[in-house]
Amino acid sequence: MAGEQMSVSQLLDDLAIKILVVEPGDLSAVGDLLEVAEQLLDNADVKGTAVLEKIVTAFKKVLEASIMGELSDSPENYDRLGQSVSMMQEVSRGAAGDGQAVCKLFKEIGYEIDPAEFGLEVSDAQDGGDGSWDDVDPDEIDTRFLADPELLTAFIEEAVEHLDSVESSILELEKSPGDSEVINSIFRSFHTVKGIASCTDLDRISNLAHATENLLEEVRNNRMVMDQAATDVVLAVCDRLERMVENVQEVFEKGLDCYKSYQVDDLVARVETVMAGQVTAPPTDEPPPVPEVAQAEAPAPAPVQAKVDLGSGDLPDFMQDADLVAGFIAEAFEHLEAIEVNVLDLEQAPDDMEIINNIFRPFHTVKGVSGFLNLTTINKLAHSTENLLDDVRNNKLTMSADIIDVVLGVGDYLRSMVQNLSDMLEHGPGAHKEFDISDWVRKVELLQAGGSLDGDAPSPSPEEPPPLAPAESPPVTEAVPVAPVVEPSVDPPPQPAPAKAAVPSPPTAKRAAPPKQKIGASIKVDVEKLDGLVNAVGELVIMQAMVQQNPLITAMSDPKLNKDFGQLSRITTELQKTAMSMRMVPIRQTFQKMTRLVRDLSKKSGKLVDLVMEGEETEIDRNMVDSIYDPLVHMMRNSVDHGVQKAAEREAVGKPGKGTVKLAAYHKGGNIIIEIHDDGQGLNTEKIRSKAIERGLMTATDNISDHEVNNLIFLPGFSTADQITDVSGRGVGMDVVKKGVDKLRGKCELISTPGEGTQFLMRLPLTLAIIDGIIVRVGQERYIIPTIAIQESMRPRAEHYNTVQGQGETLMVRDSLIPIIRLYHVFDVENSCTDITSGIVVVIENEGRHRALLVDELLGKQEVVIKSLGGYLKDIKGLAGGTILGDGRVGLILDLAGLIGASEAMGHPQLGHARGGVAGDAGMEGKEEVEA
Amino acid sequence: MSSETVARDEAGGGVKELAGKYLTFALADEEYGIGILKVREIIGLMEITAVPQTPTYVKGVINLRGRVIPVLELRIKFDMATQEYTDRTCIIVVEVDSGEGTIQVGMLVDSVSEVLNITAEEIEPPPSFGTANTEMSAILGMAKVKGDVKILLDANSVVGEGLLEKLSDI
Repeated sequence: MAGEQMSVSQLLDDLAIKILVVEPGDLSAVGDLLEVAEQLLDNADVKGTAVLEKIVTAFKKVLEASIMGELSDSPENYDRLGQSVSMMQEVSRGAAGDGQAVCKLFKEIGYEIDPAEFGLEVSDAQDGGDGSWDDVDPDEIDTRFLADPELLTAFIEEAVEHLDSVESSILELEKSPGDSEVINSIFRSFHTVKGIASCTDLDRISNLAHATENLLEEVRNNRMVMDQAATDVVLAVCDRLERMVENVQEVFEKGLDCYKSYQVDDLVARVETVMAGQVTAPPTDEPPPVPEVAQAEAPAPAPVQAKVDLGSGDLPDFMQDADLVAGFIAEAFEHLEAIEVNVLDLEQAPDDMEIINNIFRPFHTVKGVSGFLNLTTINKLAHSTENLLDDVRNNKLTMSADIIDVVLGVGDYLRSMVQNLSDMLEHGPGAHKEFDISDWVRKVELLQAGGSLDGDAPSPSPEEPPPLAPAESPPVTEAVPVAPVVEPSVDPPPQPAPAKAAVPSPPTAKRAAPPKQKIGASIKVDVEKLDGLVNAVGELVIMQAMVQQNPLITAMSDPKLNKDFGQLSRITTELQKTAMSMRMVPIRQTFQKMTRLVRDLSKKSGKLVDLVMEGEETEIDRNMVDSIYDPLVHMMRNSVDHGVQKAAEREAVGKPGKGTVKLAAYHKGGNIIIEIHDDGQGLNTEKIRSKAIERGLMTATDNISDHEVNNLIFLPGFSTADQITDVSGRGVGMDVVKKGVDKLRGKCELISTPGEGTQFLMRLPLTLAIIDGIIVRVGQERYIIPTIAIQESMRPRAEHYNTVQGQGETLMVRDSLIPIIRLYHVFDVENSCTDITSGIVVVIENEGRHRALLVDELLGKQEVVIKSLGGYLKDIKGLAGGTILGDGRVGLILDLAGLIGASEAMGHPQLGHARGGVAGDAGMEGKEEVEA
Repeated sequence: MSSETVARDEAGGGVKELAGKYLTFALADEEYGIGILKVREIIGLMEITAVPQTPTYVKGVINLRGRVIPVLELRIKFDMATQEYTDRTCIIVVEVDSGEGTIQVGMLVDSVSEVLNITAEEIEPPPSFGTANTEMSAILGMAKVKGDVKILLDANSVVGEGLLEKLSDI
């Protein structure tokens, strides 16, 4: 018997899923449904339950009718069928079954059931939505909506915004009736309010909004006109909704005492009257304006169904409302991240209810919103995981490593699904990928049933999301969430520093009382607008400098003018700072990803590693966030894989068995420093030294410090895994790290103490848009050398100048010989100073290589806004870009790596001519002189 | 090759499609025309910052109201003798396709003449000189207007994508 029952519920589940994905006109899918319905009817249990049998029969009849074309094959009807499946599920779980609701539902579909069949007294099945509310005690306070404060906050914020816009739109509409754009915007607002209200379990608000939405739908489809009565009623609805939302907010902030019970029936009825009075010829498949009656009447609707049914009526295709989907994607990424962080916290403190709740809520939200958007697979997966967590929450299950692994896995999988969604939004439906969630759902259900995972649940590393979709590579998580909008000042919900998670007593108190988010404290801004602002401000700063440097202005010595200029530059500087800060985001999110990485790595390598994080609130340019991810991953991997030894090894040398990797970020001297510090074995300097000697990078007799030797590993191609990894570790991907950091115009440094650990520093500029540079003159041209690369500059003395086989030139700077690059030669500039001793050399360092650049003159130091040279000039060797200098002309910014490469490629063909330099402009003779 | 260029630029090919408004300009004794829709603006000569490691015809970059755009000297591009700049020398800023979206490029020319409405009857296909001169591929057609001959150029081939391919060889 129990087995039979099981199969009924399985069949119903099957039905529920199938009905969700069925599309109008897809007859084979309808056929599938029919098959399941028939199986149900054959089932003994169904036969034994009269009500269930009736519903299934009706369900089957409707399907048959729609195949025959007797009934409308519309998405609305499939929604209603979905609702009927919900009812079946309830009945099969033992609910009495609400015949009235069933009859009404099928009547809406267009299939009449005799109410008497249910043996129920049915009086007003044809009545509108009023009945639905009579079942609910109006005084009974339904507090479900308070379950998820985050969702509620979002709801309040959005609802207020939408209702405001509705009001102004309606007034606009009064001026220009029939403006379809305005009607659409009103419609959308109501649609959104309806959707989020139902997600938040605010049924009455949702109902009222839904009824109004129906009315607007008619208007939109030109089936009725927006006359005075309609306008009035929409305004009235708007007022009522505003009051209700206000009350919700009040309840949320001050507690339940403020709760006011608002009735919506009167207005719903009014909306319907207006509609009924106008709709001339309602098409047969048009739903009577009954808002979600079934849902309201059902005492405990199956959550998946209910959620999906709520908002899907008007969204046969979830891509229809791109705004909503985009919002969902951004939100979902945030939630998934929160889930991950919390799950990792949970590992440290498996019994902390607050953390479990923190995981539960985002799943709940994701489930709700995805359901509303008709994203059935995401919805289903989030839902089953939510169920699992709910059981944990209610102490029906105990948290286990399996559950944690599965929740993490589900999180990853959801992320790849959401990523795909975002791809689809960007590149069109072509990017769609099929995701097979059944495996995860099965695992989740298995755990929920109290089982454990056979074999080890894969705990995939971040780069490899579970490849469950065969033959298709799921989107890689490395393509980090690029939300189409930026939230400059919205911090993720406060999280306890995972650093503290390592401490035996996590600060639960801190978690227990998350500060209430201020409503309306932030706005979402388009990234493009923001970049536009930053660029414009950059121009402003340049223009101001140009005006100030105008000879006419400088010639004036008016104290008032000077004072005003002072004031002006203060304002522009302030403006620039503010504009820049808008692009800054805390580094927290990037750091949090490392938590996961370290967890996975240490699990895989069987090492015990604690990750300690500091300075997560340090802000960096959001454009840099993506770019620092790769280098960080490599460095973290090195630290865990190669730096930290195995517990036994560590204990053997007297260290605690558990290694510590510290990840810190802080500001220092106009730079951001990211520091990764492990207490592992350190670098094997001798090995690197011998490798360097072998490769001819140095000689055995060279007096090079260990520190410098260690930093040789950053040289491109210097270290590959098979060269030194086996012995000393380090060496994988150092090149990637270095290149990544160079691209950001940053610097890497390694400090390693054998036996004690390695410290890796990334020094990054605050922003990518501005570079600090020294302007140098060569002939008539001016170039900008990034200050970060400059070590010193000097006027060289003749005795420090040498040539090497007449091929290269070097300069002795503090006992080291540095190759000279004559900038005028590489860049072919005329009329420049060719005499070494009368020019200036700037000693620069790039990728461990030092060069002395010969220039004519140093003109000054300036922060410049980097501009692309545009189009096909952007890849010129030796140039990183251009900038507008104070006089309005373009100055070129040097790219030192490219410059060194270019000068090496060119060789020194003109050396004989050029180097006369030492003794003046002596031309060819100079060569002999020097060599002599 | 030339017909391909025409086809690519004018969507459909054939001399007929070439009819329309052209901005004409002078290079030495020759008169050229360029589709007006490609032209963004005409600016007087301004200080040009030379960019190293570029072909000689790339004169450098200028600051066009905060944007940095490259400027090419068409005389050098077309292997014509250069001359001193005069006060009629100017830069025609055109918008052309590059690999990734459109870019603005300045063309340094001797002088700008006028905007002409050229009809299909006035246009002849580009002549074949039987030479391997790649620059010929930039010619869309020849227009005979009031006894003068205007050489109609395809901006994309002169300073856009076409050039890009050549630059990448360097």
